[in-house]
Amino acid sequence: MIKLNKNLSVIAVAVLATFQAQADIRINGFANLTGGITSSEDSLYDYDDNIGFASQSLFAIQVSGDINDKMTATGQLVARGSNDYSADFEWAYITYQTSDNTSVSAGRLRMPLFKYSASLDVGYSYHWVVAPQSVYGVPFNNIDGVRFDYSGYTGDLEYSFQFTTGNIDSEFTLAGASAALVIDNVVAITGDFAYKNWKFRGVYATGKVNFDIPDLEPAFTQLSQLSASLSDKLQASDDSGIFYGGSIEYDVFDWFVAAEYTGVEISDSFYPDEVNYYVTAGIRTGKWTPFITYEKSDLNNGPKFLSEISGFPAAFQPGVTQLVVAIQQPAVAEDNTISVGVRYDLDTNVALKADIVKRTNDINDKEDSLLRFAVNYVF
Amino acid sequence: MLKKMLLTATLLCATSSVLAELVVVVNPANANALDSKTVQRIFLGKDKKFADGNETIAVNQAAATEIRQNFDQEVLGRSSSQVSAYWSKLVFTGKGIPPKEVATDAEVIDLVSRNPSVIGYINKASVTDAVKIVEM
Repeated sequence: MIKLNKNLSVIAVAVLATFQAQADIRINGFANLTGGITSSEDSLYDYDDNIGFASQSLFAIQVSGDINDKMTATGQLVARGSNDYSADFEWAYITYQTSDNTSVSAGRLRMPLFKYSASLDVGYSYHWVVAPQSVYGVPFNNIDGVRFDYSGYTGDLEYSFQFTTGNIDSEFTLAGASAALVIDNVVAITGDFAYKNWKFRGVYATGKVNFDIPDLEPAFTQLSQLSASLSDKLQASDDSGIFYGGSIEYDVFDWFVAAEYTGVEISDSFYPDEVNYYVTAGIRTGKWTPFITYEKSDLNNGPKFLSEISGFPAAFQPGVTQLVVAIQQPAVAEDNTISVGVRYDLDTNVALKADIVKRTNDINDKEDSLLRFAVNYVF
Repeated sequence: MLKKMLLTATLLCATSSVLAELVVVVNPANANALDSKTVQRIFLGKDKKFADGNETIAVNQAAATEIRQNFDQEVLGRSSSQVSAYWSKLVFTGKGIPPKEVATDAEVIDLVSRNPSVIGYINKASVTDAVKIVEM
């Protein structure tokens, strides 16, 4: 982690040094001020029944400069409300335009998992108040590595392909406790296609996954005393994980409909097989874009490895079963979300938005409702 | 800000008083055949070179002008806000830089006349010998 940060700051300094040496520097920025309040006693996306702005607001500055005809350095400094608005270099990379159709970027980049990954933080670029969390709520969004881009078109068909490789290191919260996720040897391939009013996208990624979850350590220790092999299986330590996804969009400018589907499998671990999707539609009428989105997130596909317990002596089986289920439990979740909202284009660089979100926990039927409003700005 | 708004208002009045028909213009030395799809691709940053291999440099009119809004709607097929959202996606992913903006037809003509790579659009009434109309 320390080594990684060091590397990143070297890149950041290199990027800054490039800016100082160069006259042609572009400074752009974007801001999302997002406020929300839930129904009394509810809680959703870190909003509660007192009005709050921190959870999904952010301010960012992007600086880019041309090193020469072919090379560009880009740095993006982002201050997130969820991180007390302390600014971090979330992106710092250098792009080399190898030809009209191909480029190579290296440094800290956005991980191209989703349709809207690249512009995920730029609220102005999409209709939602915030991209659907059932799909987009992953613990990491950036990767330290290299990305190869290829794009072109024939007739009305436009296509682009990305090949990304590198390492991911992130911290996140699982069932209220802090945890770490490290994914090594990440390889991701994406393909984007646009044909007339249609857009299609596919992504497939693999990596060696390591979860470090301090809260689960005692259970793993207990289990390893009973069965080292089963404990090994449940631990996510250098285990292969796959991520896959697809999206489709039909947009005739007056209205649009789009859907995106993603899945995660880390078979040799406690982490449940995960499937998420959303379907969204909207109408553009003058400056107004009313929209509706349905989301579903499913990490509730039964505990894994139960069949392996039958090999244990009968007396041990209940204890082992209890541990195996308990270790998997924190990640289990299933919910669906409906949101209805509107975007208003105040100007060609300012949009106002509001939505109402209702998420239903499909396991215990608990509902949480949220009202959000946002100002999205780009310059 | 107020100044900008006043300027915008003046521009809007000035342009709407003439029945505006916009034309896409290039340097007279630019012999490339251009159809509306190609113009669209150039202004959306998708075509970086003309058929003859020369670089394309698109020049936009300021966002608040009527001619820009007409161009976005008629040629690019979407509202100026949508075009702006499109560019915000490219800018903040390091994949593109939007066309430079100028404030008047005269500035477009000046830039086009000085560089065969430049492509712009102006009111038909403003056309001079220094530029060539693209028939689309």
